[in-house]
Amino acid sequence: MTQYIIRRIIQALPLLLVISFVVFTLMNLIPGGPLAAYENNPNITPEDLERLKKELGLDAPIHERYLNWLWSVLRGDWGISLVTRRPALTEIMERLPNTLYLSLTAFFFALLISIPIGIVSATRQYSWFDHLATTIAFLGQSMPVFWLGLILIIVFNATLKHPNGGPLLPGGGMYTIGADFSFEDRITHLILPASVLTFFSLGTHIRYMRAGMLDVLHQDYIRTAFAKGLRERGVLLRHALKNSVLPLITIIGLEIPGLFAGAVITETIFAWPGMGRLFFAQGIERGDYAVMMGILMMSATLIVAFGLITDIVYGFLDPRIRFD
Amino acid sequence: MRSKFQMLGIIALLAFILVACAAPTPTAVPATAVPAPTKAPAAAEPTKAPAATTAPAATKAPEATKPPAPTTVPTPAAPAPKRGGKVTMAVWQSPITLNTLLGTQTVMDEVLVFLQEGLSKVEPDGKRVPALAKEIPTVQNGGVSADGKTVTWKLKEGLVYSDGKPVTCADFQFTLQAWMTPGVGVVSTTGYQDVDKVDCPDPNTIVIRFKNFYAPYLTLFGNDLLPKHATGDPKDMTKWEFNRKPIGTGPFKLDEWVADSHIVLSRNPNYREKDKPYLDQVVIRIVPSSEVAMQLLSSGEVDIMWNNTEADFPLLEKMTGVKISDPLQIGGERLFLNMAENKDPSDPKKPHPILSDVKVRQAIEYGINKQRIIDKLLFGKAKPGTNEINAGFFQCADFKPRGYDVAQAKKLLDEAGWVPGSDGIRVAKGSKTAPDGTRLRLKYSTTSGNKLREDSQVLVVEDMKAIGVELYIENAPSSVVIGSWDGGSPRRHGNFDIIMYTTNASIDPHGQMLNLFYSKNIPSETNKGGVNYTRFNDPQVDSLLDKAGAEPDINKRRDLYCQVAKIGQETTNMIYLYQRLDMDSYRDRLLGWVPNAWDNNGWNADLWSLK
Repeated sequence: MTQYIIRRIIQALPLLLVISFVVFTLMNLIPGGPLAAYENNPNITPEDLERLKKELGLDAPIHERYLNWLWSVLRGDWGISLVTRRPALTEIMERLPNTLYLSLTAFFFALLISIPIGIVSATRQYSWFDHLATTIAFLGQSMPVFWLGLILIIVFNATLKHPNGGPLLPGGGMYTIGADFSFEDRITHLILPASVLTFFSLGTHIRYMRAGMLDVLHQDYIRTAFAKGLRERGVLLRHALKNSVLPLITIIGLEIPGLFAGAVITETIFAWPGMGRLFFAQGIERGDYAVMMGILMMSATLIVAFGLITDIVYGFLDPRIRFD
Repeated sequence: MRSKFQMLGIIALLAFILVACAAPTPTAVPATAVPAPTKAPAAAEPTKAPAATTAPAATKAPEATKPPAPTTVPTPAAPAPKRGGKVTMAVWQSPITLNTLLGTQTVMDEVLVFLQEGLSKVEPDGKRVPALAKEIPTVQNGGVSADGKTVTWKLKEGLVYSDGKPVTCADFQFTLQAWMTPGVGVVSTTGYQDVDKVDCPDPNTIVIRFKNFYAPYLTLFGNDLLPKHATGDPKDMTKWEFNRKPIGTGPFKLDEWVADSHIVLSRNPNYREKDKPYLDQVVIRIVPSSEVAMQLLSSGEVDIMWNNTEADFPLLEKMTGVKISDPLQIGGERLFLNMAENKDPSDPKKPHPILSDVKVRQAIEYGINKQRIIDKLLFGKAKPGTNEINAGFFQCADFKPRGYDVAQAKKLLDEAGWVPGSDGIRVAKGSKTAPDGTRLRLKYSTTSGNKLREDSQVLVVEDMKAIGVELYIENAPSSVVIGSWDGGSPRRHGNFDIIMYTTNASIDPHGQMLNLFYSKNIPSETNKGGVNYTRFNDPQVDSLLDKAGAEPDINKRRDLYCQVAKIGQETTNMIYLYQRLDMDSYRDRLLGWVPNAWDNNGWNADLWSLK
């Protein structure tokens, strides 16, 4: 087992190297770049632009810049944001907690809701509950996030009123600006964006949970368990559940890296100061290479890492899989 | 099982979706809102009536462009400014730094204008007035030496920063040092690089000694004064805490900045004018988009919306209690006509086969119906462009726009030796610049993806067809159009016939005039950074600009630029399409707002108050 893990980690390193090289090259091929915003500014002369290029190291050929970047990352320095001139890591760490706060909440509720619905849906296959659950799963997967977000804002923020006269729920931000910290204030700001994200992943989770459960329910050992006269609840929770969550584990393993990268659309609609907005508004729109590389490499590393973790968890849950 | 509760929840959710679908105004912009403030600000204590000079310009209502409201009785006189209260401004761009040496975003300046002041500032009419200085130095009052190379400023007495530390000449020395520190990526050293040193005969006197005469010398040390005690080593500028928490002498000081969320500013107790500012707090809310800002403005959750566009007008005008501030913008959308042959970048002065004829260029301008573009695409909220210097102190008074005149356009083209061909498009017959039989066909480019530009292209192409000029559109992303010489940018290489975009102007037009008209700025292999994209090349203009660049008297300088602008308009190397409005909107509970196209919204925030 330990050997397997070490081997996988060693395999991952060249993979990450290749990813970083491809991403870096592609990013630099995008026209524009961090100085494009200055080009039409009357206060900045062409000489200024040349000087800035040199000072920010943008005049070097691309392979040189890549090697510089790689060398500093290996020493634990993620570079300076070309836009804010602060360490890219500082920029990322400032937003990361906000994103995790939102996405982990949504993730937690999505699991909490989807697992029981999936189980019931499978055990009562083709019942009206099953039909309803499948429909919801379908809606959750196919409904555009921005549409649902706007609808929730219209209903809970613009239309419905709180007894004190204000909107029922805040439509954006993480807390009331200028107010003292209050638990209630934080929670109310969390409800709408977290609901959107929850609903979005609910669809996938319910479908996988249901499919996994159906699969297991047709196995011989379940039939045997029922034949022995065990109660339904006992069979489901003790015998079936562990095996039926396997497909869901794969999905979760792939989803977790995404939780760190932030939900661009949801964060934008709800003015949430998280990673998604950092990546999009500062990284892509302004060509901030250091920040973009930081976020992309973080996601890539997490995807590789969670791929490994998923495999290991599989091994524990499913004795048929062995790593020797 | 517990599924009953879950089902209840699901049904409720579905019900809400249905309700939402039936919501009365599905097109309405979403609200991104915080709950209504729970408490009204503490009852404002009445203040002593301010001195007569400080009365905010509430008397000049900035409403000239709006039709008068039919029913409301105009409020009589402005009430005395009330102390206290909070004003919220929505911006839909995130500031990236608050150190003006490291950033150029307009949104950064929108924030800094509340916090920092310079030696002088510019009033709505483009006139420079003292801020920290006692008076504006001129040759006449002895502040500027005869050769213009020594400029002396006197500070007002007893100035302190918001942290209580005094403002001294040493801070200006330090600021210069910071501007000129190599290797930290200071955005622009223009002007400061011409300064030899700053001398401090006493803490309140700043003597700026220039190496070379720098015509816009008054623009230096604007809103960029760095307090030496609150910053650090200029070499470590990117690491300064100051960049996130600047200190200045402005009416407000920064309390809190949460990235991508908000910035809280509060009253500076050490502000140089007693009893001001009237407001306690200014909150800048960073929202993701202008639609969100519009919604917050209409619901009254923010008082000011920064940076509106013409398309917002129909909605804004419907909102009750919202005023629109729309002074004319400086600079504007224009067509650059390439006067040089565009196939041969090695010789940037080889004449263009069609556009090097002044009559053709003038005919094109006569043939464009600028007003139609404004009416159809800009909701009538812009002005036809006339010449290079279209606003402010340097504005040249006696310019008339070249009107829309199809007959004149056709006449000029006939005279230039272009006759209509079988399909209505003209061909050369006796033209001085093109061989007979050449079709009057030109490439017309702009930045792709900009809807306003692409729509106006359609109108211009139509207009041109009517006078027998064929334009074909070939657009590229702005990063390509605007790119560098080495990146193959068509405007730098002169690989275009007509190109369209906006240039913004600074308060002092010196750099802009040099960029656009000076022959030494024609881009070429040896002058890759050149910005005279039309390849305008006129020895008389060069000498006028040389003179302007050596003239310490600002009035004389204005005359020189106006002569250049006049020649520019006559020779029509650029066609000024329209000049947009500098649009912001605010709720009418905010008093003291005065629009100023030269500065940011908060330029007179010390006079703002609430109803």
